[in-house]
Amino acid sequence: MGVTVLQQFPMVENRTGPQTIEFLTKRVVALGAVQTGQFLVDCETYMSVPNLGPQRTVHVVHNSEAPASVFAVLESGQRSVPLVADGLFDLLMQKMATIYSKKQPKIEAKGPRFEIADFCVKLGSVTMGQNFKGVLVEVEYRPCLVASSCWELVREFLQGFLGSVVPATPPPYLQNRMNELYQPIDTVNQYLEQFAQYRKATGVR
Amino acid sequence: MEPFYTALNAVKVLRSSVGHVFDTLGNGVRADHGEENKDNKFLLELQELLSTVNVNLRELDQAVNSLTPPPGPFNLGNSTYLTQECTLERQALYADLVKSYKWTDKVHEYGNLAVTLFSQNSLKRSYINSSSKRRRMQTSSHNVPPQTVDQVIGNIDRQFSDMSVTIQRPYATNAVLQITLGRILKAMAAFKGLMIEWVVVKGHGETLDLWTESRHKVFRKVTENAHAAMLHFYSPTMPELAVRSFMTWFHSYNTLFSDPCKRCGNHLHSALPPTWRDFRTLEPFHEECKP
Ligand SMILES: [Zn+2]
Repeated sequence: MGVTVLQQFPMVENRTGPQTIEFLTKRVVALGAVQTGQFLVDCETYMSVPNLGPQRTVHVVHNSEAPASVFAVLESGQRSVPLVADGLFDLLMQKMATIYSKKQPKIEAKGPRFEIADFCVKLGSVTMGQNFKGVLVEVEYRPCLVASSCWELVREFLQGFLGSVVPATPPPYLQNRMNELYQPIDTVNQYLEQFAQYRKATGVR
Repeated sequence: MEPFYTALNAVKVLRSSVGHVFDTLGNGVRADHGEENKDNKFLLELQELLSTVNVNLRELDQAVNSLTPPPGPFNLGNSTYLTQECTLERQALYADLVKSYKWTDKVHEYGNLAVTLFSQNSLKRSYINSSSKRRRMQTSSHNVPPQTVDQVIGNIDRQFSDMSVTIQRPYATNAVLQITLGRILKAMAAFKGLMIEWVVVKGHGETLDLWTESRHKVFRKVTENAHAAMLHFYSPTMPELAVRSFMTWFHSYNTLFSDPCKRCGNHLHSALPPTWRDFRTLEPFHEECKP
């Protein structure tokens, strides 16, 4: 598990989702990357029932990179409580259907996964329910665990195949954790941050 | 040596031609001599063979004449006493003696070849070319009391605030260091006295041991370079300085992921950061951009 940067690749007119993935795949492969299967990150969102006081939201996230874990992030007001559990957590959520209920369609990012030297690249098409919403690019630099040490390096790598759409600053979630040891939950939080943007957006972005 | 071989060869040729004569004589008249004049033909063949023997004999004579006789009896050294040996099972010792003599001779020859090869190699780890002046204050870098090693390492540990060095002694007296460089990387270095014998570099999140390599390409490269550095800095006459220089060099990897290459200005080349640090200036370079 190394520092991971997640960013969206803006959609352009007259290029569909699959075409965008194919376009990026060509660029990554041109750098020397080798495809190593597929990946999937999915997120179910549960809301607490109204008669339990202030509303709380629980996002339950699965990441194919950590197949034995289930990540959960509880949002209540400004606070956010992360939890990493094993597969039984899914069953527990089912048992709590009377307290937490699904209100939103499932959102997921899936697509090809690549490796090049110590980098891992994932090109995910984001779908909410049945609707295509856009493309997310995940780059993990596995040898490094502290974002402040390798942000410039990862940025250079991203620029190498995404070009000018790479922002000068790290994703907002990461900015507050530049000097922390990177954890798998940090990737989950970056996905939640991006998924929230897609939920707000109408159509693709 | 050359005339000696010629003479021996002449003996061989003579023996073979004499053998041929007796062979022919023993076989007598053969079918291929035909019916007519078969005795004459046989005699003619014999005569021819005998004249070859003559020629070969003359050649041998010449070869022997060109040899210079040894100045006196060979000195066999202590091996002459073997002739006075009367125990039966020890009388065969001479053959063994000659065999082992030949073997030592070969070892000597190979040794000489090896010396020429090694003296061309700049990565040697012996006293071979230290000047005679230094030779007097020579200390053995492999045979240092553990207290001295502890002291040297302790000083290095205090010298760098972001590099911690701890000593373990899993194998008797020789130290094995565990080096943690910030949150960038970890390393293990095996010592023999004050000589660095082995280094393995791994990522911050990896389990450290002496024998398995890192799962990350970048640390495998750094390990390789650390091996080159431990040979480069090695100095049998000033072991403490060698260890200190190596550690100072190694410490410069605290910017492994953040420093761009001095030559091309980029962070990445072939998807790797600058994994090389100059021995003198400690400047970062990609392997491909190395000066
Ligand atoms: Zn370079």
